[in-house]
Amino acid sequence: MSKQNLKVIKLDKVGVRYRIPSERISSFKEYSIRWIQRKVTHRDFWALQDVNLSVNRGETLGLIGHNGAGKSTMLKLIARVFRPTAGRVVVAGKVAPLLEFGAGFHPELTGRENIYLNGALMGFSRQEMEEKFKGIVDFAELWDFIDVPLRTYSSGMGARLGFAVATDVEPDILLIDEVLSVGDESFQRKSSARMQEFRDQGATTMLVSHNMDIVIKMCDRTAWLDHGQIKAVGKTSEVVQAYLQSQIE
Amino acid sequence: MAQTEISTTQQEEVIRLQPSRGWTALNLPEVWRYRELVYFLIWRDIKVRYKQTALGAAWAIIQPFFTMVVFTIFFGKLAGVPSDGVPYPIFSYTGLLPWGLFAKALSDAGRSMVANRSMITKVYFPRLVIPIASVLSGLVDFAIGSVVLIGMIIYYNHIPIPSAQITPTAAIITLPFFILLALITALGVGLWLSALNVKYRDINYVIPFLTQFWLFITPIAYPSSIVPEQWRWLYALNPMTGVVEGFRWALLGVETAPGLMLAVSSTVSILTLISGMFYFRRMERTFADIV
Repeated sequence: MSKQNLKVIKLDKVGVRYRIPSERISSFKEYSIRWIQRKVTHRDFWALQDVNLSVNRGETLGLIGHNGAGKSTMLKLIARVFRPTAGRVVVAGKVAPLLEFGAGFHPELTGRENIYLNGALMGFSRQEMEEKFKGIVDFAELWDFIDVPLRTYSSGMGARLGFAVATDVEPDILLIDEVLSVGDESFQRKSSARMQEFRDQGATTMLVSHNMDIVIKMCDRTAWLDHGQIKAVGKTSEVVQAYLQSQIE
Repeated sequence: MAQTEISTTQQEEVIRLQPSRGWTALNLPEVWRYRELVYFLIWRDIKVRYKQTALGAAWAIIQPFFTMVVFTIFFGKLAGVPSDGVPYPIFSYTGLLPWGLFAKALSDAGRSMVANRSMITKVYFPRLVIPIASVLSGLVDFAIGSVVLIGMIIYYNHIPIPSAQITPTAAIITLPFFILLALITALGVGLWLSALNVKYRDINYVIPFLTQFWLFITPIAYPSSIVPEQWRWLYALNPMTGVVEGFRWALLGVETAPGLMLAVSSTVSILTLISGMFYFRRMERTFADIV
């Protein structure tokens, strides 16, 4: 078996269903009355349906598609935030999700404290985070603001801190949702460089983006999601081409 | 088969996610692996709690202290409620202190899942960590409030009226057990409430009502000795009865150890915790969708 074919993520006939109540029932009383009347109705919405996908070790896989196509749901599934309603997901290795900035951040805590809190969220001990601390702040270039509350940060500063923390924990799998579009020009260059570094070290990346230039530049393969199903998966240039073509029509 | 499908190195953890229905295992070892996160969440709660308040941590003393003063005037003096031969102020304060721990832990844990929704919808970690951290963070207020109690014990130990003197006995070493019992009860009820709160926001209104109601059925303003003997076991179904009576026995040396009541209270408390954990785990997989 060649190195390229070693799979680290495998989705096997995966479905994720959200149950959307036809009308919002938010109180127990209402729920009880409707339950007695047999009027608790849900509209099922399959955010992902019958998805088969595998990601090889060391590759960067792009995910493209319209809003609501299921891209973010897929990342959240791999990050274990959601559970599959059907099928099976197998993930090997440490996952660093970079789904939204400020996921585990608290505005009243300082940058320093938030770094440690995020480390704990990813299951790192304090000693491990102490070793990583300097590198994280260096990368985020936030030494001047490290001891002030996060609420005083600009969104770009928050983004830098989030990216620095998530990528400094040496994940085997990095999940990135639209985050390369935040931050200024120089930070974008820096984060692209770090992702390249990652790839060289053999880490696997899944990247959701609406920016086709980034997808073409970063991704070895790309999957096109449409209404919760995979419409095409393969070489980035071909999939992107087909996707853009469909938008013109 | 799975081994050939997926490539791993020795150190890597392989996670298999499949649909789960009904009751699931508690997976407590995983919670233990995330103990560092529990510590950080407690520390975050404490740091943020008294931010932008003028009196800060003094609130941890003000609340039980003034409640004690009001109880002493109205229940102790005017209504003449008995206090098992102990001066009424210290009698009520030894009840109010564990009560404060319980009530705060209960309401914080009950609201914890909704309050931490931004974390829950974005990152994976064992969700049990959140209510556990909210319950434990109340221990700091408890410790601050204890300072007043120690002061009161010293005071009542030295006043020249022998009949009103308080001398703690060896029973004081059992105190951690009663603190633990209060925490277990609060966590058990808190788990039920927090899981329900995700689905039904009614819980926000239930919590203040529940704590007020619960205060009256717990022997804080009055001793449990006013409850007729044959009904004590029923009365002890409220686990906080065992906690408060235990506190008084351990600290003030009143009467004998609350044996039967304690057994009933502990059993109810542990059953609440176990059922709460299982219910929480059952609801857990829906949290990220609906919180």
